[in-house]
Amino acid sequence: MKYVDEYRDPELARGLAAEIRSLVTPGEVVRVMEICGGHTHAIYRHGLEELLPPEVELVHGPGCPVCVIPMGRVDDAIAIAETEGVTLATFGDMLRVPGGRGSLLEANARGADVRMVYSPLDALELARQEPERHVCFFAIGFETTAPATAVTLLRARAARVPNFSVFCNHVLIEPPLRAILETPGLRVDAFVGPGHVSSVIGTDAYRFIPEEYGRPIVVSAFEPVDLLQSIAMLLRQRVDGRCEVENQYTRVVRREGNARALAAIAETMEAREDFEWRGLGPLPRSALRIRDELAAVDAERLFALPGARIEDPKACRCGEVLTGQLKPWECGVFGTACTPERPLGTCMVSSEGACAAFFSYGRLRLPREARVGA
Amino acid sequence: MIPKPERCLTCGDVAVAARVREVDGLEAVIAVGDLTERVAIELVPDARPGDVLLCHAGIALERIEEHTA
Repeated sequence: MKYVDEYRDPELARGLAAEIRSLVTPGEVVRVMEICGGHTHAIYRHGLEELLPPEVELVHGPGCPVCVIPMGRVDDAIAIAETEGVTLATFGDMLRVPGGRGSLLEANARGADVRMVYSPLDALELARQEPERHVCFFAIGFETTAPATAVTLLRARAARVPNFSVFCNHVLIEPPLRAILETPGLRVDAFVGPGHVSSVIGTDAYRFIPEEYGRPIVVSAFEPVDLLQSIAMLLRQRVDGRCEVENQYTRVVRREGNARALAAIAETMEAREDFEWRGLGPLPRSALRIRDELAAVDAERLFALPGARIEDPKACRCGEVLTGQLKPWECGVFGTACTPERPLGTCMVSSEGACAAFFSYGRLRLPREARVGA
Repeated sequence: MIPKPERCLTCGDVAVAARVREVDGLEAVIAVGDLTERVAIELVPDARPGDVLLCHAGIALERIEEHTA
C-alpha cells in the first residue's frame, strides 16, 4: 500500500538501525521520549526497541488524549448523557474510560443514550436526523482533533442547528511538555515530536524545547522507518553538537503548520485558565474551551455538571507512566488487576496508551520473572 | 471514517492518507483501499481530484506532498 509499504521496508530499517548503533557512545545511555501515543503504539507493535542498542532508551510520554482525561470529566460526560432527551456522542475509546461512577458504556447499559461516532461531524448529522433529541459531542484530543471540532462548530452555527452542543475537552501539547521538562530530576535527553499535531501547529511551535530547555526534538511520522530515522536524526544532532528542531515528516508537516486549521480553532475556542491532567495535575492554559460567541453550543453552559475532582485509584500509577517516570510493567496492577478488558487506568484503556500497547505487543519480551498476564 | 479497530481514533496517528475521487462543495469523496468516505475540506479548500489528503476524524487536515511521500 502506497505511503505505508515504503516506510516499513526491512532493509531500510536494518540500515537505519546500523546507523543508530554507529552514532551512540558505548555505555552512554540517551533517553528519548516519544511524546505521541501513536508513536508508543508503533514502537511496541513493530518491536522497534529490539532494533535499538542498549544505549538508546525509549521513554513514553503524555500524548494519548484519552489517557490524560481525568475521571471527573468522564463523570461530567455521564451527567450529560443521563439528562432526559439527550444523546451523548463520542469516540469509541472514550466509552470505556472509568470515571468515579463507572464508564460511559456502563451509563449506556443503565439507560443513557451514548453513541460512538468517528467524527464530530457525525454527531452534528445525528442532531439533524433526530431533531427531537439534543445531541452533545464529548470532544477530546490534541491539536490534531481540535480542527474537526472547530469545523463542526462553524457548520453548526452556519446551519443554525438548535439541538447540538459540544462538551469541549481539547488539550494542548505545549503545557504538558513544559511540565515534564520542568520536572526535578528529569532524565529525558531528546524528544520525538508528534507528527499530526505538528501538521496543525507546525514545527516552530517546539522551538522552546531546544532554546529554553536544551533538548533536541525531531518531528516524526508514524511508520517504523520514520521512527528509526527520527532517532538517528536526534543522535546525529548530539554527535554534531547541535540542539534544534528538525522535521522528519516533511511530506506533511510545515514550519508554520496549517493556518486555516489554527484560524478555525481560534475562531471557535480559547485557552482555559487551567485544566486538570491525569498524572500532571492542573496545568495553566493547557486546554481549550468554547468561546463566548458560541455559548449556545457549549455543553458546560447548557448543563449542570458535577465538576468534581476525583482522585485516581490508589493502585493506579498512570500519572507516572504518562510522564515517563515508570515503565508500564513496573506498575503493581499491570496485567493483573488492570488489563485491556478491565482497565483500572486510562493508559490501559486506549490502544495508544503505553500500558495497553505494551500489554498487546511487548510483554512476552520481558524477562520471565516480570511477565504477567501472558 | 475508515475503520481501524486496533487504533484509537482520537490519536493523531489514525490520520490516514487518502486520494480524492471527487469534490462536492465543502466535502471530498476520498478512497482508501476499496472504501470511499466523505471528508470536510474547509481546511484544504483547493483540494482537487487526484490530490492525496491527510484525513482525521472526518476532515482533511493537510495535503500530502507526493514528491516527498
